[in-house]
Amino acid sequence: MNQIAEWDWDTKEKYIADINEWRKKFPVVRGLVASDDGEKIATVIQTEDNRFTTCVNGDVWEETFERLWSLKFTPDNKFICLTYKDYEWALAVDKEFWEDRFDSAWNLTLSPDGKNIAINVKKEESYGVSLNGNTWENRFVDARDIALSPDGTRTATLIQTKRLKEGDIFGFQEGIWTVAVDGTPWDKTFVNVWGVTFSPDSKHVAVEVRFNLYDYTIAIDGKTWEKVYNCVWEPLFKPDSNDIIAPVKTSDGWTLAINGQPVWDTYVQLWNQRFSPDGRRIAAIVAPEYGRWTIAVDNIPWNNSWSDAVLPPIFSPDSKRVAAVVKESRNPFHMESALHNVEGNNRYSIAVDGTPWPGDFEMVWDPIFSPGSDKVLAKVEKNGKYFIAIDGRIGKHGYEALWNPVFSPDGEKLLIRCVEGGRYYRRVVPIHEI
Amino acid sequence: MAVKNAVKSAVKEKVISKDFKEYIRDVNPDVGLDETIKRLTPEKIEKTIKAVIGGRSSRIKAVMNTCIHCGLCAEACQWYLSNDKDPTYAPVAKMRMTIWEMIKRNGKVDAEFIKQCARIVFTECNICHRCSMYCPYGLDITFIIGMVRRICFLLGVIPQRQLDQAQAHIVTLNQVWLSQNDWLDVLQWQEEEVGADFKDLRVPIDRDGAEVMWLPLGAEPKTGTYHIERTAKIMYAAGVNWTLPSKDVWDSSSMSMFVRDFVTMQRIVRGLYDNAARLRIKKMVLTE
Ligand code: SF4
Ligand code: SF4
Repeated sequence: MNQIAEWDWDTKEKYIADINEWRKKFPVVRGLVASDDGEKIATVIQTEDNRFTTCVNGDVWEETFERLWSLKFTPDNKFICLTYKDYEWALAVDKEFWEDRFDSAWNLTLSPDGKNIAINVKKEESYGVSLNGNTWENRFVDARDIALSPDGTRTATLIQTKRLKEGDIFGFQEGIWTVAVDGTPWDKTFVNVWGVTFSPDSKHVAVEVRFNLYDYTIAIDGKTWEKVYNCVWEPLFKPDSNDIIAPVKTSDGWTLAINGQPVWDTYVQLWNQRFSPDGRRIAAIVAPEYGRWTIAVDNIPWNNSWSDAVLPPIFSPDSKRVAAVVKESRNPFHMESALHNVEGNNRYSIAVDGTPWPGDFEMVWDPIFSPGSDKVLAKVEKNGKYFIAIDGRIGKHGYEALWNPVFSPDGEKLLIRCVEGGRYYRRVVPIHEI
Repeated sequence: MAVKNAVKSAVKEKVISKDFKEYIRDVNPDVGLDETIKRLTPEKIEKTIKAVIGGRSSRIKAVMNTCIHCGLCAEACQWYLSNDKDPTYAPVAKMRMTIWEMIKRNGKVDAEFIKQCARIVFTECNICHRCSMYCPYGLDITFIIGMVRRICFLLGVIPQRQLDQAQAHIVTLNQVWLSQNDWLDVLQWQEEEVGADFKDLRVPIDRDGAEVMWLPLGAEPKTGTYHIERTAKIMYAAGVNWTLPSKDVWDSSSMSMFVRDFVTMQRIVRGLYDNAARLRIKKMVLTE
């Protein structure tokens, strides 16, 4: 938030780059990545056959690579990407490489302040994590998924502890998967682990575990909840605490459990639970009946529900309101809908506190609350162009490409990052002009 | 020579069911059936059967009582037709020799019986649903066979190859044990292959807002990598704005469905839809 206050909120328009010009200049221009503050736009360009490099605001890196991906700007505007050359992967931050090289590098993850970078790596035929270029000395048979602690100092990944011979169904069932934190595996192993997450104080790690072919629970720092369930979904720590909530399936249906104790009513399905910023309220996606989806806040489902999808709930900064992407089809099982759009089907919208916006769109991105929690906006797609919609009203301008808009700290203006006429612009626009 | 003879005699050797004398099959060793039943106890078997049948026993009894043994379902079944119309391959026989017997005996069946059930439902039925269509009463035979598969899955009695693929799905969410980096590597390598032939031809990973997300079968990035290259060419020629997800789940197959591992089935489907939502794609295209 502090960083946002330091951005340029006065200059109405900056014409940053002519993408069409890039397309004329280079044989190939790939997808565009904009920085959070809108000042920079990056892409991968081809220089000659099978050689690629990056181009940031027209600045072309003289080094070339065979592969480039995971282009990202940190919140403090450093440019990161994974590069591949001569059978080695390397991570580059503003054209400077980490010393270590890898056989594989993926799951590029940033700490919330963007100052710490973690990746899953494969090196010397073994798997682990590299944090800011410091690669775990302990490495394993396989590693999947990564978690970086909120303070950016600790990492965890899901690891396979033993090699398995082909078809060894018995060895598998003994449990050869666990979590490794900062390179140290938990003592206990499981048939499967997934959904790894750190506590807000960065001290604890929680994960979903599967004991055998049918029993599931949550484990924290290697210790499992006493109760086992028919299924569980990803655990989540409560802000400023070590309490954990996770959806669990009991014989009555899905409910939410806190530290192993079910506390909500049961639903046909329940997932993607989220805490309000003040940690006092919980919202989650629930299915009150088969084929209907909605949001429940503190165990009270919204009155409206939707046929196709409800995406994860988003709380307002004051913790009082909840918004979510919703999708309805009047005839979800229409045979034709696989081939072309059937009238009344695939209608995306935003619902705020249970009430959907009056209009609908071809696509809707995540809702964004204003700092004062009074307005909700989202990037939407209509007739193949991208617009900003505020409180259900679609904006005047349609863009060729649009990134999520950002509210100014006072909530009066919007930062718009967009492509129009083949050019990338950074604009600051008063809300009433949208 | 000795080995050859042993193989020969093993092939010839027959097993006759102690429960159903007409059920005679070749001996077909499989550790997924032969070894796993050694861990079963009568209590565990009974508990599992009751847990799966649960509140549905009246539904199964209704099927038992409605069935008039007309045999019409047999004509639907490839196993029956391709085994000289041996009645023990008829769909109705598969129900009679498995779940009906479990119900009659109130779940008190032994480990050998479970092994026989597993052999019937996993190796003599493809869950194709044709029999259910042929039955004049619309009895859902396949649903019932699926319940027997579920019982066998919970007891861990499944042919080795099928269980191995289902276990691959449990951990990797794909049926070929592909690691996350290998999945990405194959896509990037295939992009290099096609990129050499066509300027600007991509195998685009995680393209936000693409129209189509293609979800291959697990075998494609493992042993049929050229499918990826060809799909990229088709999408290019058709002018489709498409993508592939960098994250799990990308394999649209589900061996978990065949063993009735409900939890992994849900994780697979949820993972596919999570990717669709994350990338804001409009259509999923699956290999079949
Ligand atoms: S579902 Fe099984 S029993 Fe029924 S017809 Fe198909 S293969 Fe035969
Ligand atoms: S067709 Fe239906 S009624 Fe006839 S034998 Fe088969 S299951 Fe029974």
